[in-house]
Amino acid sequence: MNMLNERDLADFAIDFGLQKGAKYVDARLIEVYEEDYIARNGMFISIQDKKRKGMGIRTIVDGGMAFGSTEVLTKDSIQQLINDITKMARASKRKAPIEFSEEKAEQTTWSTEVKRSFADVSKQEKKDYIKYLDKRLKRDVQGKLSSRIIVFILYSDNKYYINSEGTKIESKHSLGNVMTMNTARSKNGVEQRNFGQGGSGGWEWFENVNFDQMLVEDCQGLAKASQYAMKKQFEKPIDVVISGEVAGIICHENVGHPSEADRILGREGAQAGESFYADLLKEGKIGEIKLGTENVTIIDDPTIPGTAGFYIYDDEGVKARPRFLIKNGNLNELLLNREYAARLGLKSNAASRSVSFEKEPITRMANTYFAPGDFNSLDELFEDIKEGIYMKTFTEWNIDDRRFQSKYVGLEVYLIENGKLTDKMIKRPVLELTTKGILESVDAVTKQIERSFGQCGKGDPMQGIPVSMGGACVRLRNIRVGGGQ
Amino acid sequence: MDFDKNLLQVAIDIAKSSGAKDVIAKMTLGKEYQIRFSNSAIDLSTQWNRDVLELFLSIGRRVDVISIPNPTESILKQDIPKAVEKLRSASRTLLYWGMYRKRAESKPLESIYDSKIEDFYEKSPELVNTAIQTSINSGSKKVAGVLYFGNLKLGVLTSFGNGGIYNSSYYQFSIRSFVDPLSSGQDVVVGRSLTNIEKKMANAGENSSKIAKMAVGNQQGQPGTYDLIMSPIVAANVFNYLTDGANPVYIIGKMSCLGKSMNKMIGPENLTISDDPTIEDGLYSRPFDYEGVPSQKTPLIKNGKMVGLIHNTTSAFLWRLLLKFGSRTTGNSYLGSAVLDEYGPKVLAPLPTNTVYEPGDYSLEEMISESKRPTIYVTSNWYTRFTSMVEGIFSTIPRDGIFLIENGQITKPICKIRIADNLLRMMKNIIAIGKDVKQIKWWEVEHPAFIPTIKIKDVPITSASK
Repeated sequence: MNMLNERDLADFAIDFGLQKGAKYVDARLIEVYEEDYIARNGMFISIQDKKRKGMGIRTIVDGGMAFGSTEVLTKDSIQQLINDITKMARASKRKAPIEFSEEKAEQTTWSTEVKRSFADVSKQEKKDYIKYLDKRLKRDVQGKLSSRIIVFILYSDNKYYINSEGTKIESKHSLGNVMTMNTARSKNGVEQRNFGQGGSGGWEWFENVNFDQMLVEDCQGLAKASQYAMKKQFEKPIDVVISGEVAGIICHENVGHPSEADRILGREGAQAGESFYADLLKEGKIGEIKLGTENVTIIDDPTIPGTAGFYIYDDEGVKARPRFLIKNGNLNELLLNREYAARLGLKSNAASRSVSFEKEPITRMANTYFAPGDFNSLDELFEDIKEGIYMKTFTEWNIDDRRFQSKYVGLEVYLIENGKLTDKMIKRPVLELTTKGILESVDAVTKQIERSFGQCGKGDPMQGIPVSMGGACVRLRNIRVGGGQ
Repeated sequence: MDFDKNLLQVAIDIAKSSGAKDVIAKMTLGKEYQIRFSNSAIDLSTQWNRDVLELFLSIGRRVDVISIPNPTESILKQDIPKAVEKLRSASRTLLYWGMYRKRAESKPLESIYDSKIEDFYEKSPELVNTAIQTSINSGSKKVAGVLYFGNLKLGVLTSFGNGGIYNSSYYQFSIRSFVDPLSSGQDVVVGRSLTNIEKKMANAGENSSKIAKMAVGNQQGQPGTYDLIMSPIVAANVFNYLTDGANPVYIIGKMSCLGKSMNKMIGPENLTISDDPTIEDGLYSRPFDYEGVPSQKTPLIKNGKMVGLIHNTTSAFLWRLLLKFGSRTTGNSYLGSAVLDEYGPKVLAPLPTNTVYEPGDYSLEEMISESKRPTIYVTSNWYTRFTSMVEGIFSTIPRDGIFLIENGQITKPICKIRIADNLLRMMKNIIAIGKDVKQIKWWEVEHPAFIPTIKIKDVPITSASK
């Protein structure tokens, strides 16, 4: 593991913060190396290496909390920053002091398993791979992709975390991700889609998941939708089968976000909003609140190697573990950082993450997914559907800021008739449903799961953090499908 | 630490003598702050120390951007030649075809710096707590929000001698008041000048509380087609997505619905919109762009007709190449991330500054009283997403106070609805423009718009079916 030379400055920050009267101090010294590539229609728009190193320091003084960051890694600069933020924390004049849950002090190291580091792959090989992806899209996708944008981000960091309670953790993390934005045009219309994938590991990750084939198949669906999808109005409610990708975004938006304790308790009130869980928790206890059929189990798990949301210790030094957010239809667990765990009289479950040394750690998801069920295949889900749709991919989506009223617009969507999947494509069908409406409609779940990449946005300033979302394919009964007008 | 033009010139000289051709040196020095609050108390105060030189380097169409924190001459001598050497083997980019070469003189913009920012840091927590208390005194039960402010010295110098150094101050205050979890209101106040800042922040607290009180008892809105009155906060979010598309890079990338709109009527005759980096108090006002081109007002839509795009030198060149007619830089060059804030590579590309609407002649009261058809007044929104950016098909979710207007009067607060429409259709369907132009920038509005209340006819409203 590479050691950061400035660790003594982080250690100094803790001592100096305590000297200045802080009840708690933590520091994150992070060195980031990032290689970025953007290509449009096979031609490069930008290739760049970015290297940054800096420190973020958080203090609690007189019950108020303050955070500061700097890239000037000198003793003077750190001292000045701590003087400033100590004053700011005091000036908060909070009546209820900020407190953190008690957690075990850890001294350890962790790293992402990497077989072939990004640094060991030449720029030429990376450029060739991106050109190869574009060539495959041109060669293997039937129909016109009039615009193909590929963004490659190869990220690695070395981090040293220390707090005033004795925790010291060094880590080395590596994550590659690709985002694409593609436009398919035909006589029948135009369709657009953002598709991304990413995971922790090195260059081998792209080969392990056959990313080229995944991208081609996704764009084939996009092109087919632009050519063949037709509007269809469903007069009555129908059954809807959703893929792991669509189930994943629902897990993330309708269950993961409202499970964030900082939202439930109002901290995101002015930005990303609050949570309808606040209403549920007034009426019942965690573990006893029904929120879906018994087929619904939704898990957020940072500890899965190779995933986009992989980590072993969070940005408050707490050891990660799977979080069963909904278990057999019952609200089972929230996402907690130390501050909001303390407010609820609980322990943190290591949900505190930050995207950079310049941003405070806040409560986040990692890898959220719909747990597998008993059904062996998609065909089994289709078997007893007289009329329905299979939503394989989606495009537009949104949800209200209490995470209850959601909308998912299908992109690659097929009609199911008399228990069989047909090749008739439906143009932009709309699921506009409440969280309860979705979860209480689940009657069957497949055994197989898949994962998609996401850049989850939350916080102010915005922190777009890598996550995965996915899970099994899910059957929803008796759904009114819009968008046919 | 301070810096002057000499530091920028030294960086350029080192880059040039190492073999770089076109160079931009951009220095940012100062402090930015944030105070976040919720549940009527300050949650976190943040300070960001900025002391960084960014260098745009090119050899022909090979380009790179490097960042050097705490730059000293010795660090520059060490880092820049290495970066230029690496540049020699870089790939050519589609997105660089040169920068502004003629000597340009910019006028200073006095209004972008207020010396009162120097001690604002000391009193800002008290002002936040006063705004919170004002909201509570006006009837809300809990208050959340954020205050950003900053005091920055910025320097830009190009290898063609253009640019300069200026000081800037800013603040952005957004406050959301709740009477109960489902009854809330928001207000935003932003600018460069801190004159009367105490009163402005307290008024924002009071205004947000007033909307929250009006929203109490809201009921499920019914789907259908309504006329829609969008507050400046909502109008800025929705229509920024449209006017942001007046950008050749977005048009080429199929991220704009304005690709076929040039010289066509796309709005009513009283709709005039410009990109204006010179407007007083504008958060993105500046004397020159990142190529040192003096700031200018660029008309985008004039009397309903689309008349212009924003450009930098490269996009103007590409536009001439593609369309075979003249375009030149409008002084909108920006050096920033191509994908998301701090995410993805930095590129030199055109970006909007302040989007400025000419005021109309309606007051909000007149818009409401003239609403004889079922009309909805929305005061805030979030989560705008697109089915098709190139067609402008989107939906967004109103939040905070949403009010049903029947027969010229607000009859009840409603909730749980979604606006699902098409940007081009909405702009064409504008039926009233307010005179209440206000500068808006907050979490859901990425760059500032000076925009009034806007009324639109026949907007589809949807809601959840289960």
